[in-house]
Amino acid sequence: MSMQVKEEGGGRFGPLHTLITVWALAGGALIALVVVVNVLSVAGSALWRPFPGDFEITEMGVAVAASMFLPYCQLNHCNVTADIFTAGLPPRWVAALSALASLVALGFSLLLLTRMYAGMLDQKAYSYTTAILQLPHWMAYAVFLVSLFLLAIAAVMTFLGNVRDARA
Amino acid sequence: MTQPLLIGLAGLGVLVFLIAIRMPIAYAMILVGGVGVTLLNGPAIFMSQLKTLAYGQFSVYDLSVVPMFVLMGALATRAGLSQDLFRAANAWLGWLRGGTAMAAIAACAGFGSVCGSSLATASTMGRVALPELARYRYSGALATGTLAAGGVLGILIPPSVVLVIYAVIVEANIVTMFMAALLPGLIAVVFFILTIAIYVLVRPDAGPRGSAGERAEFIAATKGIVPVLVIFGLVIGGIYAGLYNPTPAAAVGVFLVAVFGIFRGKLDRAGVKGSLLETAGTTGMIYLILLGAEMLKIFMSRAGVPQATAEWMAHSGLAPMTVLLLLLLALVVLGCLMDSLSMILLVIPFFWPVLVEVNGGLYQTADAAGFGMSTEDLKIWFGILALIVVELGLITPPVGMNVFVISSMAKDTPMSETFKGVMPFFAAELVRVALLVAFPMITLWLPKVLGG
Amino acid sequence: AQEFTFKLHHFLGQQAPAQTDMLEPWARQVEQNSGGRVKIEIFPNMTLGGRPPELIQQARDGVVDLVWTLNGYTPGLFPRTEVFELPFVFVNDPKAANLAMREMFESDLKEEYKGVEVMFLHAHAGQAIQTRDKLVRQPSDLKGLKMRIPTRTGAWVIEALGAAPAAMPVPELPQALQKGVVDGAFIPWEIIPALKIQDQTKYQIEGHDQTRFGTSIFQVSMNKARWDALPPEIQKAFRDASDEAWLAKAGDTWRAIDERGIKVAVAAGNEHITLTPEETNAFQAALEPVVYRWIGEVKGQGIDGEALVKKARELIAKHGGSN
Ligand code: NA
Ligand code: NA
Repeated sequence: MSMQVKEEGGGRFGPLHTLITVWALAGGALIALVVVVNVLSVAGSALWRPFPGDFEITEMGVAVAASMFLPYCQLNHCNVTADIFTAGLPPRWVAALSALASLVALGFSLLLLTRMYAGMLDQKAYSYTTAILQLPHWMAYAVFLVSLFLLAIAAVMTFLGNVRDARA
Repeated sequence: MTQPLLIGLAGLGVLVFLIAIRMPIAYAMILVGGVGVTLLNGPAIFMSQLKTLAYGQFSVYDLSVVPMFVLMGALATRAGLSQDLFRAANAWLGWLRGGTAMAAIAACAGFGSVCGSSLATASTMGRVALPELARYRYSGALATGTLAAGGVLGILIPPSVVLVIYAVIVEANIVTMFMAALLPGLIAVVFFILTIAIYVLVRPDAGPRGSAGERAEFIAATKGIVPVLVIFGLVIGGIYAGLYNPTPAAAVGVFLVAVFGIFRGKLDRAGVKGSLLETAGTTGMIYLILLGAEMLKIFMSRAGVPQATAEWMAHSGLAPMTVLLLLLLALVVLGCLMDSLSMILLVIPFFWPVLVEVNGGLYQTADAAGFGMSTEDLKIWFGILALIVVELGLITPPVGMNVFVISSMAKDTPMSETFKGVMPFFAAELVRVALLVAFPMITLWLPKVLGG
Repeated sequence: AQEFTFKLHHFLGQQAPAQTDMLEPWARQVEQNSGGRVKIEIFPNMTLGGRPPELIQQARDGVVDLVWTLNGYTPGLFPRTEVFELPFVFVNDPKAANLAMREMFESDLKEEYKGVEVMFLHAHAGQAIQTRDKLVRQPSDLKGLKMRIPTRTGAWVIEALGAAPAAMPVPELPQALQKGVVDGAFIPWEIIPALKIQDQTKYQIEGHDQTRFGTSIFQVSMNKARWDALPPEIQKAFRDASDEAWLAKAGDTWRAIDERGIKVAVAAGNEHITLTPEETNAFQAALEPVVYRWIGEVKGQGIDGEALVKKARELIAKHGGSN
């Protein structure tokens, strides 16, 4: 699982690798921000009155941050697999199966990217907002789109890595 | 059988196949869910649902505790809480035969009280305790087995990420579930320590006696558990006492651990960065599985599979207890092959309706129910039982994630030895499950007392 | 055989009164009107996927054919209809509110329901005050209390009364009450039995003559394309099942569900407080700014809120007369 982080594609992909890691760190910073909002709300609630927007900021912030983690996950093979059935296969076969998985990730990220773009237009057209702070939801969708674009790039990178391993 | 139902069942077959050929479980669910809905109702529905599904699923408020508890555990590892806990436990227990292993269990329990994941608990405590156990000449099997099993406490003792996910699926109250988990978790600690005592009674060479420490060391070491006690008290204690909901509580926990780590100089830039990236990896993995599970659920509901399973089970004429035991057995078997979170997400949506059905329906009261308890109580009781048997999967061969993690740290102990070493703990867990099945009050008592 | 099957998706459980007492009777009526050519399958509990705020989008996109949803889940989407949520626009009569909404629908509300065909809009019995241990008889009694909000206009009600609004999912309310995370909530009695609110509260408070402090609006809507493709006689089956008589009945149904709730609370030893007319008037005075706040808010969207308030009040009074 998350413990076994294997570095993928240095060299040629170095800058992309860095970009995806920085994007994940930015997501982590967003979680930290949500933490701070909640702590302030707890303190405010104890001392004076609760901060009514904490609920919405938490929902939106965590959702956006989770999307920002997806490319990092793909690149570092955090997504769980059941390895037992293929443990006996030669490494080349395993790499070929992993290449298939990378293709599914690529197809899914591109599909979801186009669909969520349509979703973002809906959110804008109907002006969906949160209840209290009236934050527009389409802004969260916009970050999702960037995350999905990076997920597609990460899937291409892992795919090329798998192909290389399958040929080795 | 109707045609949608057949498509649904075929979909489950394909899902198993994809998982078997190493497709990440999340993508296997996404693929089967998407293709399944498309086959049943045409492409338009799935395409439309994709517009909002991911954001909707990721922004569920109850899930927001997940990244926070993950971050809290990651920070706790780097803040050095694990060393303090082990040192204190060893000062208390180390002089017993097998005492250092017992201390490792106690420290795992302590770390589990601030960390929501088993793997993090196993790897963190493994790093701290394995060298010590080697120094005292513990057998490789007992040392690695102890830590692989001890890691399970990370999820059995609240906070627990898997329990949060269960609560979200069956719409249980997270606070109630955290209350229910505490007593069974403490029983696990006691059973694990007893297991070690019996183990070294049978095989005295496996776990030698340490020496009683000096009084000064005893006092200094014991002081080390104060931060963990404070953090657990404020986070889980605060949740129990109702000072705040789980999400703000988890936020307070993250904040406290971070401040403590920085204050004592253990948490530097690299430590924070590492914690954030660990949170990214684990959270991203969990949320992607959640999205996949939702897509699979849509397909299965449209095909009518959960409804049909529940109805079939309810009319099978099996006694409620038989049904429960069958479901738990299925979880143990699945646990040999899969990780706990995917399992909970994959099977609870099917198992829970079955139990509701054999209990006599959603609004059943205790007196007329199949299990002699209300559906609300059943939800709590089954959740804890499911949590335990699902977690057993972490230490059962051939796929036991905790065993893998510990084995990778103890290079000179073969994995087969670790699996051997973990078996007595597995047996202890079976005894505990039997106890909790026979006496539901052990699970339901604390929520009742604390008014959950 | 049924020629037309519809999936009706909603967010509550299958044994919730909303399904058993309203959605099922309505669906059976449509089926009967169609002479058995229509079948409506009800999917409770979001079983067809997504979260409650996504329901309206699901209807628009044809993910499902019909939805029952709470307008308040998607604040900003139905600003005109929101006028009926306002305190002392909605006073005490869900039946009158339902009929008034129907009368204003074509002329004033329809444009915000693009992409769906509304079968009917309805209100619940209205927000009342339920507190752990604080007796509330005048607006100043609420000062400083933490109250759970129902909707965005509900948050304004709470702020206008000097209380602090707290947002949380409804299922968390009992625990939050028990532990004092909140001191109370603005919700109808109808919620009481399902969440066992009576165990966590001491007081249930409403105004004179069942006056409430705003309400929530719900809709049953169909995907527009699906609707447009239906033959006239099938459309008629739906329309006839959603006529004035039905809306009046729906009002009575929600009133009845609500009464069941307060009976449970009183039987459990809670005190049911009905404010005097004078006390009720004090609340009306304190809540008048909420109406102005709303008018100012929707002005930004080019909506003449003042006219809507006036019209809604007149129509509610008119239909209330026929009570
Ligand atoms: Na834990
Ligand atoms: Na296993």
